[in-house]
Amino acid sequence: MAGGEKPELIINGKRLDGRGPADLRPIKIEPNVVKNAAGSAYVEWGNNKIIAAVHGPKEALPKHTSDPEKAVIKCRYMMAPFSSLEGHGRTGPNRRSIEISKVTKEVFENVVMLELFPGTEIDIYVEVLQGDGGTRAAGITAAAVAMALSGIPMRDVPYAVSAGKIGEMVVLDLNMIEDNYSDADMPVAVKPLTNEALLLQMDGSFTKEQFKEAMNLIIESGKEIHQAQEEAIKRPYKEIMDKYEK
Amino acid sequence: MQRIVIPGEKLSDTAVRMHNTLVHQGKTYSTIVGLYNDEKNILIPMEGLWHPAYGDTVVGVIEEDRLNTYNVNLNSPYKGLLISKFVQEQLNKGDLVEASVKELDKTQTVVLMRPRKLTGGKVFMITPSKVPRVLGKGNNMIKELTTSTKCNIIVGNNGVVWIKGGNMQLAMDAILRIQEEAHTSGLTDRIKEMLSKG
Repeated sequence: MAGGEKPELIINGKRLDGRGPADLRPIKIEPNVVKNAAGSAYVEWGNNKIIAAVHGPKEALPKHTSDPEKAVIKCRYMMAPFSSLEGHGRTGPNRRSIEISKVTKEVFENVVMLELFPGTEIDIYVEVLQGDGGTRAAGITAAAVAMALSGIPMRDVPYAVSAGKIGEMVVLDLNMIEDNYSDADMPVAVKPLTNEALLLQMDGSFTKEQFKEAMNLIIESGKEIHQAQEEAIKRPYKEIMDKYEK
Repeated sequence: MQRIVIPGEKLSDTAVRMHNTLVHQGKTYSTIVGLYNDEKNILIPMEGLWHPAYGDTVVGVIEEDRLNTYNVNLNSPYKGLLISKFVQEQLNKGDLVEASVKELDKTQTVVLMRPRKLTGGKVFMITPSKVPRVLGKGNNMIKELTTSTKCNIIVGNNGVVWIKGGNMQLAMDAILRIQEEAHTSGLTDRIKEMLSKG
């Protein structure tokens, strides 16, 4: 992907930002940041800064996109022009953002109970303010919180995280430099209740054993991500409850 | 004991029939953010949309005056429909009406009956899932509001509230406060205190 000489990514068993191979970057989720959306969330995941908002359900327009059996999900993933060092987002929607919009949409088509709202559309907007690798995973994690807060019934709150390979070592949650020079990068979205994969993409290659190890790391670290999501969803209600009870 | 639950959180180890839940491998899970009471097995949604049912009261705006029908905007994915034959008074585009739900059809349309034109006053929206709390048990809360603020208040199940006359600002503040604190206990007493202060 990126040219030039490959930098040393692992020194003395530690990665460039001092993490071990199976460590996540710190995650901070802020609920209800956009007043006019039905539900919204702001995520800071390492150096990623992402806002996700959910609108709807509302009448599906243009009319030919609507489905009389179920709701349709429309998703827009966009990087702000100032979000990264490369040209991401500078010239409007491109091949990359259309792809990520599509995979995000497909994640939510499998968890939201669309059959309850026939003939309507649900809009998901994911705006990347600052990108540092793994924005699609962080975007799905944020959009899941926004979707839960909007009150639309869903089967589970999914999370996403990426795993990769540096040399022969399987690592979790790659940042921008690791992503550009790694030997494999695999973002995965997971439904925590059943540990089913809702999104599975991969650049590069894994052996069978490395793939299994990567999946185990993702599911293990997912508990931490899901806990951050759960805490963020409950926080606005807990604050009011604590104020008046006891 | 009440607790806040999120979608996918386990409510019970047995299959229980409840609104807004799903059963997976014999266990019950929530599908919404809600307040769960495990003694009474009740799950109350925190946010949520209006699911129309027969007899619901709604407040909406006339959007279009067609030949035999009026289209009513109900601030929801559902479209309201009034049949001109059953409308007693002259209605125009932009008029505010109160009506009740007569029937639902498969095309996301809610057929309304007994419309009443609302003139003057103020309109604002609340979350539809908080409407039962604004009305209160046996309409206690809304009675308290009307007697102490001397307002006419109509709360539509679709989350649209119309108020007129009396101390409108106080009534509005009280209703918005009920919406915000709907999931806490002792709310009626706090609202009574707020209303008596004025």
